[in-house]
Amino acid sequence: MATSQAKVPKRFLTQPFTLFIDRFMSGFIRIGGALVITAVLGIFVFIFLQIVPLFQAAKVKEIKSVPLPSGSYTVLGIDEWGGLPFLVEATGRIITADLQTGETAEIASPFTVGKQISAVGYNEREQTMIVGTSDGQFSLAALKYGASGDGDKRKITLALEADPFQPIGVPGVPIQSIAFGDTGDRKLVAAVQSVNGQKQLHVVTLARKRSLMGGGKLQVDKTYELGSMLSGQPVQVLVPTTADSVVVLNNDGSVNYLFLAANKEFEVRQKFTPFEDAEDPAVSVMNFLLGDVSIVFGSVEGANRIFSLYIPEGGDKRLFGMRHEFPKLPSAPGFIASSLRNKAFLIGGGETASLRFMTTDATRWESSLPFAAQKAVINGKYNRMVFLDAKNTLHAYSLDDPHPEAGWNSFFGKLYYEGANEKKWEWQSTGGSDDFEPKLSLVPLIFGTLKGTLYAMIFAMPIAILAALYTSQFMEPNFRQVVKPTMEIMASLPSVVLGFLAAIYIAPLIETRVPSLLLVSFGVPLASMLLGWIWSRLPITIRKHIKPGYEVFAFFPVVVLLILFFWQLGPLFERLAFVTTDASGKTVADFRAWWPHVTGASFEQRNSLVVGFMMGFAVIPIIFTITDDALSNVPQSLRTASLACGASRWQTAMRVILPTASAGIFSAVMIGLGRAVGETMIVVMATGNTPVMEWNIFSGMRTLSANVAVELPEAPQFSTLYRALFLGAMCLFILTFAVNTVAEIMRQHLREKFKTV
Amino acid sequence: MHAPRKDYKDLLKVHAAPGEPFVWLTSMGLAVGILMVIGLLTVIVLNGLPVFWPHPVYAAQLKAGVTSPIANATSVVGEIAEERTKSVKVLGADGKPLADQKEIQFFVGNKDAYGFSFAFLDSGVIASIDRPKDVLVVERIEYGDAIGTPIALKTATGETIDAGTPQFPTDLQKRINEGNTRRAKIERIEKTEIGRINSRMTELRVKGKGSAESQRQIADLDTKYNVLAAEAKALRQKQMQDELVLRLPNGTERDILIGNIVFAYYPNQLGLVAKTGIFLHNIWGFLTLDPREANTEGGVFPAIFGTFVMTLLMSVAVMPFGVIAAIYLREYAKQGFFVRAVRIAVNNLAGVPSIVFGVFGLGFFVYFLGGSIDQLFFGDYLPTPTFGTGGILWCALTLALMTVPVVIVATEESLASVPRGAKEGSLACGASKWQTIQRIILPASLPGILTGLILAMARGAGEVAPLMLVGVVKLAPSLPLDTEAPFIHLERKFMHLGFHIYDLGFQSPDSEAAKPMVFATTLLLIVLVVLLNLTAILIRERLRKKFSTGAF
Repeated sequence: MATSQAKVPKRFLTQPFTLFIDRFMSGFIRIGGALVITAVLGIFVFIFLQIVPLFQAAKVKEIKSVPLPSGSYTVLGIDEWGGLPFLVEATGRIITADLQTGETAEIASPFTVGKQISAVGYNEREQTMIVGTSDGQFSLAALKYGASGDGDKRKITLALEADPFQPIGVPGVPIQSIAFGDTGDRKLVAAVQSVNGQKQLHVVTLARKRSLMGGGKLQVDKTYELGSMLSGQPVQVLVPTTADSVVVLNNDGSVNYLFLAANKEFEVRQKFTPFEDAEDPAVSVMNFLLGDVSIVFGSVEGANRIFSLYIPEGGDKRLFGMRHEFPKLPSAPGFIASSLRNKAFLIGGGETASLRFMTTDATRWESSLPFAAQKAVINGKYNRMVFLDAKNTLHAYSLDDPHPEAGWNSFFGKLYYEGANEKKWEWQSTGGSDDFEPKLSLVPLIFGTLKGTLYAMIFAMPIAILAALYTSQFMEPNFRQVVKPTMEIMASLPSVVLGFLAAIYIAPLIETRVPSLLLVSFGVPLASMLLGWIWSRLPITIRKHIKPGYEVFAFFPVVVLLILFFWQLGPLFERLAFVTTDASGKTVADFRAWWPHVTGASFEQRNSLVVGFMMGFAVIPIIFTITDDALSNVPQSLRTASLACGASRWQTAMRVILPTASAGIFSAVMIGLGRAVGETMIVVMATGNTPVMEWNIFSGMRTLSANVAVELPEAPQFSTLYRALFLGAMCLFILTFAVNTVAEIMRQHLREKFKTV
Repeated sequence: MHAPRKDYKDLLKVHAAPGEPFVWLTSMGLAVGILMVIGLLTVIVLNGLPVFWPHPVYAAQLKAGVTSPIANATSVVGEIAEERTKSVKVLGADGKPLADQKEIQFFVGNKDAYGFSFAFLDSGVIASIDRPKDVLVVERIEYGDAIGTPIALKTATGETIDAGTPQFPTDLQKRINEGNTRRAKIERIEKTEIGRINSRMTELRVKGKGSAESQRQIADLDTKYNVLAAEAKALRQKQMQDELVLRLPNGTERDILIGNIVFAYYPNQLGLVAKTGIFLHNIWGFLTLDPREANTEGGVFPAIFGTFVMTLLMSVAVMPFGVIAAIYLREYAKQGFFVRAVRIAVNNLAGVPSIVFGVFGLGFFVYFLGGSIDQLFFGDYLPTPTFGTGGILWCALTLALMTVPVVIVATEESLASVPRGAKEGSLACGASKWQTIQRIILPASLPGILTGLILAMARGAGEVAPLMLVGVVKLAPSLPLDTEAPFIHLERKFMHLGFHIYDLGFQSPDSEAAKPMVFATTLLLIVLVVLLNLTAILIRERLRKKFSTGAF
């Protein structure tokens, strides 16, 4: 401000308004610009935040402990919400504990009839229970949980409906272990009794007699005594919900798998010892996991293994095989509680408890408890765990583990999935049943992405680079202004159009004409070179008619004719080279039949070939434009010097221009690759979207991008699948971002280089 | 001076320079590239344009003893959709191939009567083929076209006009036109007016919470509704009165309500002018009508409109942000390693797959932002989401985010290309920094900015994958922009040309019937995108000239 020289006329001073605007706009643009850039880069952060919970361990917190009246409790059960656990006492009394208020109550029990309860089998999923008594009888009971209100105000009630007691095995002898399976119209009850020091296994099947009026009463169908089939003294029995087999644990640690064959007789399917290699193979506890296909075993030494049913190679019967082994626990586990939501289970004994997930071999949570846990249970919603300690106190813990099936192993590791006979990478996110095991391996999707990219690049790279080479080095410069926009229009074609044409037009066209396509793709380049060679041998009086730089115009109709020629030759080629016999024994000249016959790989209509070809439309113009720029930016002096030294134009292009611009060409290829990796619609429409892992060009694939497009609209917010798809998107993001950054740095490097030349 | 004859002969023998065959190989590369572009565009045009052209109807008499695909018929009457040669892959006993089979696909229409609308015939079973003059093609609201011989017109008054009489064609045309006018009126009443009443009533029910005032207003609206409904009912009654009697090739006669006819013509009596007229009429209908029959018939107007509004919204969002960010990066930020890194990052975002932006849009815009807006302002309507589900605003913002790098890069490039002299001259004259940017730099770089914007629009208009996640649907009940306050409905789902193609081509229950429609839509989309790209190039050239002469 001109204070000392106040004589400066006012008209020379800047208008305050102008200054204000300037200052305002400076601030506005600084803040706005920085905000926009932060927001754009914030995409990465947001997606990252969405996938973080996938890699977090379970959070467990104690919420309440409820002391129980003294007694000897045989079973601990819980409702879906985890609010009202119940316990069955040996006298038949049933105690519930309200975890909201901490009060215990005794509810009306149908079992308090003067019998001693000696064994209980509890099915949390169906909320049913089987009770075995000390006088050789059993009763099936349904637990009727009711709930009113929501959230903290939820009021849960429990009532029991029991069938009358029925005898099983030897009358008057206590039942030591009991289990049952129920398919709806068939039930199978298995019980272990000790008669004169000799253990016996008794099985009863109950069948519903179907009548016209619907379901009839369940009646005893057949009884069995299976002690002779066992390899030891039975300790514990398990019956799957399919009610077609019995798994018996013996005191020597061996397990017998008895199967009820179609002729209504039991057969010994398998005998195995889960901890065969251990010093003491005895098993301390076993339990089914959700789905009743896998059994978790805990040994007296604290080891923990899972055996699953699978069909061995060449076999036709399902047998148990060891699938997972977990780290040892410090003491022999006393309980295994399995989750009803997923393949997680809670194992523990003494003062240790560990929450483990079968599929991924992951320990979700492990801790030492301030008490000695005797029994435990996980509620149906998988958000509470309740332990019963030796002093008859219930301890309730909240469990926050929204994504137990996720983890590094789950997304990238090779895993044993239930029923499989080898470790696999597999993607299958949804299934038909509740006990479905999601298979979330991203490896097949990454594989599919690379496969599609590879075939696209094989097709696009040569064409794009050859075309760019010709345009920048050999063609009359004036035509570039036409050729470049033409190729760039190709880049602007929406990918949905390309995908649609690939599926509706190209795929059916190519399906029957693979031999033609083979001929075209090998014949046309060879024939072009041959023609070029012949041409170069012709006398100059003929050659002068086509000026250098105009070849493409002469060549254009020739290429069309060549393509047509080889295309028409295809069926003949097929008849010569691809003859095979089809299923009905007829001789056919059909590539579609020949390919699977010779290679053993499948042939699908919508295959990688189609995708590769159509993706070419998206990739060629990108590689072409950038390569062309890189080549034409090579300083003219290099070129003229080379030509002046007597090198031919081809020699100049190959030995001077190409090496100089190689970094640019590399970056062009990288950017093209980035585009191919992320292409969505073409792949969604032109492949079968099956996540296979084979390089077969005539089969489809499922890429990361297509997977997201297909599955994300159906994925519930914040579910594991939702986050897994975000992870897929993140992989894509990182992949393309890295590829593009490398390309960009190469390009800038090249620019610097040219500046100095 | 002249060369000795011997030397000239030697010259003839000189071979071309080394490597010439490879030069030809490279020229093949370029030829293939250009062929691909031309070939693709040709395929689209050749399949897309004939959709609108009226095709002649053929009657193929079958040989004796051949069962026709149409029950009880001895002939197949229809347009020829496709002729193809099927090569027989099974070899004969002598190892030689058998003769190829020729197959003709007829579009026979009358889906309601036959249960299908396409029939295949081996060329061997056709005894004779001709074009009967009196065949009428009737485009209907339901079940696609009807093809048959007109018998008579039965009017409401019980009058019967025989098809042979001279006034029949004009009379038919007049009644169809009347029917079309009435249908438009019914549609206006039912969709616009009743729709408005319905949405007002919903609002009153939710917001009024059963107060007496709202009850009274609802009752008011109810009376209005009844009046309108009665009016629509009366019009509908009228639509059911006249009937056209059509005889199908298998001899059955069918009555078609005039109210259900959109258009009718004698395909085998048309001259070139009439055909061109129908061609233009069909194109007009395609561009302006709503889709019918699971999108396989009618037009694509809502899709065009949706694409247009979405692209416009996207441009409004992308333009200021992109330009501000570019000005910041170029003129205000301190140039150095950090800005260079940011520049590379922004540049590379342009190469990040569009589906990633879709994923972000779903997670951030729809679930996070939309969910929060619903909690704050539309709590009354929950759990029905208003903004917490896909909608046109989220689509536009997602695409804006996707294309903002394109605009930033283009703007920055053109800002950088403004001559230093111009900028420094302005500053030296005493202009402030902002004045320089506003008056010198921005106008000079406008062509580049516009090019960037148009390229962004072209990309936005053709992109489908992210939209599938954030709000595009196969059939939207209402347009995102209409005469009902607040006129622009940012939360509405909308139709999009690109998604229309995907949906028709892949999710359509009758893919054969959908084929012409997909090709037509594809043609439209391609024309739109290519036009936008060409405009970008043209504007760039024109503005460049203008400023290069005008400024310095």
